[in-house]
Amino acid sequence: MRTLLRFIQKYSNLLLFLLLEVIAVALIIQGSSYQRSKLIGLNRQVTGFIYSKVDGAREYFSLKEANEQLVEENVELRNRLDLASSMIDSATVVNELKGEYRYYFVQSRIVNNSTYKQYNYLTLDKGKKQGVFRNMGVVSDQGLVGIILESSANFSTVIPVINRDFRLSAKIKSNNYAGILQWEGLSPRFAILSEIPFHVTLSEGDTILTSGFSSIFPEGIEVGKIESFSLEKGNFYDIRVELFTNFQQLYHVNVIRNYRQEEQLELENQNR
Amino acid sequence: MYIVARNIFRFLVLILFQVLVMDNVMISGYMIPYVYILFILLMPFETPRWILLLSGFALGLSIDLFNGTPGMHTAASVLIAFVRPYLLDLLASRDGYDPETYPRIHYYGFLWFLKYTLIIVFIHHLALFYLEVFQLKVFFSTLLRVILSTIISASTIVLSQYFVFRK
Repeated sequence: MRTLLRFIQKYSNLLLFLLLEVIAVALIIQGSSYQRSKLIGLNRQVTGFIYSKVDGAREYFSLKEANEQLVEENVELRNRLDLASSMIDSATVVNELKGEYRYYFVQSRIVNNSTYKQYNYLTLDKGKKQGVFRNMGVVSDQGLVGIILESSANFSTVIPVINRDFRLSAKIKSNNYAGILQWEGLSPRFAILSEIPFHVTLSEGDTILTSGFSSIFPEGIEVGKIESFSLEKGNFYDIRVELFTNFQQLYHVNVIRNYRQEEQLELENQNR
Repeated sequence: MYIVARNIFRFLVLILFQVLVMDNVMISGYMIPYVYILFILLMPFETPRWILLLSGFALGLSIDLFNGTPGMHTAASVLIAFVRPYLLDLLASRDGYDPETYPRIHYYGFLWFLKYTLIIVFIHHLALFYLEVFQLKVFFSTLLRVILSTIISASTIVLSQYFVFRK
């Protein structure tokens, strides 16, 4: 017993070091992507809050532009209202009219962004109050950005293409073959399209689009173009895709709201 | 007591600075200067090892919480907290370190501080980046990132000694 105590005393620092490292490594191994998303949600709310305060000060100086935008938006909304009422006049039921809009875009600004990590995330300044919910698609003017992971009242986190947990079905424009788009964690400019069978003819520069095989994105949103391809794994190509979206210079994005997402998911779950 | 308060203040400021400013400074896309380990570098010579280790743990855990990474910064920070006393012994001149001094350029000169910073930062980045990718497939590209990031972090830290932590 005494020797044990002396041993512990003598090596107390080494033991403490080992204990702390074991805790850290346990955290790394335990840290599933679900826990990570919860943690990210929490800390993004904190940092998101701070960033929005900083941006708030900047916004004060751009009130004039904001005003102009509001005027434009007002005009557009009034136009739409006219259109809607004229459609009602022509005996269209309001419910059906709403059904006509299958996708709706929520304009949003990025308040926090990372591109240099293995698991990158973006934070947007729109949340549940503005109609942004989990599993909605996010696009920019340039093309595909990512998918909403979590949303709070006024913020939401996006899991972008450049995150190693990201998976999406995408297709080649010229021949409609669909594969899995993911990121291998190297450059934020390139992603990998896999599971395209070897007999498909490919050429560099072909455009890659979203396939529409999910309720998240409509078909045909531009993702990138083929930079190079190889057949290393035998039956399937490894295609390197140059992304159209430049994540390092991204400020404004649109969140896609699919009015029929719930219906589709409900049906798909029934059959499982 | 004054020293303790000063270190706690430095701890908080460095974490906020890292998360709010440095994490947004990206050099050529995927390298960022990790200056928060400056806290471990600057702790007084006579700090007991268990305090060093626990501070390293708290420091890494805070950065992990803000970054949403599980345990990687914690593991790397605890590692450098453990290595630091041995490295200080190794780098000590024949007279050792004078009491009433701190591990800084002001007391021990540019070359000493550069060596000290480079080694600690390199160990930290090596652990951090390999834990982050967690695969050996990209061994050399990760090693390149470690080396480039070490240069960037270390130069930021050394520069900070001239502008912020002058004395």
